[in-house]
Amino acid sequence: MARGKDKKKRKLEKKQEGDDVPKKVPHTLESLREKDETMLANVDEEEKLEAQKDMELDELSSYYENSYEPKVLITYSDNPHNKTRIFGKELCRIIPNSISRYRQRSSVKRIVQSAIRESVTDVIIVNENQKQPNGFLLIHLPNGPTAHFRLSSCKITPELRKDYKEITNHRPEVILNNFSTRLGLTVGRMLGALFHYEPQFRGRRAVTFHNQRDYIFFRHHRYEFTSDGRRAKLRELGPRFTLKLISLQQGTFDSKRGDYEWIIAGRRHQMETSRRKFFL
Amino acid sequence: MLLIEDKEIDIFVASKIGSLKHIKYHTDTTKNNKKYIENLVDIKTLQKDEGITRMEWSNAEQTEMLIGRKNQQIQIYNTLQGFTKSYTADFAPGEVVGLGRCKRKLLAAVSSGVVKIWSKKAEEVINVGKIDRMRVCADDDTVFATGGEENDLKIWRIGEPAPTFVAKNLPHDWLQLRRPVWVTDLVFLPQEGGRLVGVCSRHGYVRLYDSRAQRRPVIAVDFEKMAATCIANSFDERQVLVGFGRGQLHQVDLRKGKPDKGYKGCVGAVTDISIVKEPRLIVSSSLDRQLRVHDYASKELVYKQYLTSKLSCVLIQSESSTPLSRVEEVKEEKPELGVEEIEADDLDTLFDNMETVSEKPKKMKLKPEPEELPAKKIRPSSEGATDADLDNTDDAIKKLLRSTEKQKRKREQKKKEKKAKSVFHNA
Repeated sequence: MARGKDKKKRKLEKKQEGDDVPKKVPHTLESLREKDETMLANVDEEEKLEAQKDMELDELSSYYENSYEPKVLITYSDNPHNKTRIFGKELCRIIPNSISRYRQRSSVKRIVQSAIRESVTDVIIVNENQKQPNGFLLIHLPNGPTAHFRLSSCKITPELRKDYKEITNHRPEVILNNFSTRLGLTVGRMLGALFHYEPQFRGRRAVTFHNQRDYIFFRHHRYEFTSDGRRAKLRELGPRFTLKLISLQQGTFDSKRGDYEWIIAGRRHQMETSRRKFFL
Repeated sequence: MLLIEDKEIDIFVASKIGSLKHIKYHTDTTKNNKKYIENLVDIKTLQKDEGITRMEWSNAEQTEMLIGRKNQQIQIYNTLQGFTKSYTADFAPGEVVGLGRCKRKLLAAVSSGVVKIWSKKAEEVINVGKIDRMRVCADDDTVFATGGEENDLKIWRIGEPAPTFVAKNLPHDWLQLRRPVWVTDLVFLPQEGGRLVGVCSRHGYVRLYDSRAQRRPVIAVDFEKMAATCIANSFDERQVLVGFGRGQLHQVDLRKGKPDKGYKGCVGAVTDISIVKEPRLIVSSSLDRQLRVHDYASKELVYKQYLTSKLSCVLIQSESSTPLSRVEEVKEEKPELGVEEIEADDLDTLFDNMETVSEKPKKMKLKPEPEELPAKKIRPSSEGATDADLDNTDDAIKKLLRSTEKQKRKREQKKKEKKAKSVFHNA
């Protein structure tokens, strides 16, 4: 009781003090995040330079020099069910210059080979389990890297009571949020490289990959500025889904013999030492 | 407790983007610092295909190393003078996968499978078939070995056109299927004169070949579903260290034919392993951009350093040592460090003082309460107490009364203040 009373009093006192007192930052897992040495913020010049050079020379650099337009192939596990198919089709509507094809029992390595031949720049393979899409494999071509994500809480447009016809053909703007470590940057760059580097602002479509506590949340919106031009009204177009990185592999897909850049399987207890430690 | 003497170890690390770093590692791990890491290549000038693929000592004193790059450049780096010479291995396509020295001759292999032997007078080219690795034997430098994907181990002698030893694959498995071959790395076991060769593979096996005994491996160790990427000699005879593509690092005993020890900690593929003889340490570079040092016996991860780019090779300088080029700065800084420490000491004393100060008011706060309590207790006791006590307590009672009055006043004041502050009163 006494504590409750105190709380009331404190609240009242706060009210009296007014708004001039600066708001305190609440302690959350993110704000108390354990420092990661690979974060680019607050490192010295030399290291920054090297990290930049590292990014300039990696496999994704040619996209960020705007030297090509990405072409994306979306495919599924064998015999996908309705939801996964619709999900793939909607991905197809979101990502410009992308095609959706059924897998026809082909192996990933052969898909990769034929995709390289057809000058496809990225391959997405959506896996399915119990009629729900649950895996997301992203392969950058022609020579990697390959990222494997767990896909969860996927909501396609009918489930959000939206219509896929609302998704226009304009090239969307891409927002990559909160990718801070070196690994996160690579993943963010891979996701960004799926979309055309020049958005069509007329379409007012925005695609967001928001990283929070290592989960990457995908949202798709159409925005409209208010008449005074200070704020934007959002309308979600769907679908939504969440990704979590399982592994990042150098080169194109080779799960048996490939060299992994980052993999969590088999060392989860070693790596997840604290609730406040995040990798992206 | 044994006091362990601090020892400095020079580690050279090469990366996939072409940077080369020199790290002065202190066995007293508390001393390790970013100050002891030094870039030997100007990062700004790096181009796309300049990644270092191979690094090898070229003389016994370990003052010179050979560096092979992706764009077929071979450079000689002197640890004291910097880059001295460079060659171009444009005799065949592919990156440099093996380097070595035989007296005054220079050996270089490219991935398309051509080994070239340079000397002042003559050049010799040997075609060995697509390879992943070429190594020159440390004991007998006229001997070298090659191996690659579907190209099993071959041992060659300089001057001879045909290999002196060609390995034979194991017999078919129980389903009568051929066992695939992919040699990713090989190593000559020491003190055997180039007779014993350890081989690791992406198909998940480690094999030991004895070139005098038989063409099939003497010992084969299988690691199911683990792609081995690199192999290095361990401390005892017939022991090798093997790194894997999923980030494991194991010691393999080639006498028992069993995996021996596991070293944990890598998150990405292990790319190269080196050992420090005294004290026994294992240094490994990894694709997750970290350099790791494990203690050999306890298997503990002693040291870990993030080096901003994907690492490809590690070399350890055990025969000689190189000072850091910034060493003067470091030395200059050292006394400064001492000064800082002294300052820190001063600060400590300061803090100590502060603590005592802060403790006093605490005590002050605490003290009146105990005073209060006995006062309350004494008063009833004094009412019905003996005379002896009364004599002494008269003054004490006065004091107590005064103090209680003061406290009362204080309380009243506090109440007033609170009232003034509270909203209800104002409202």
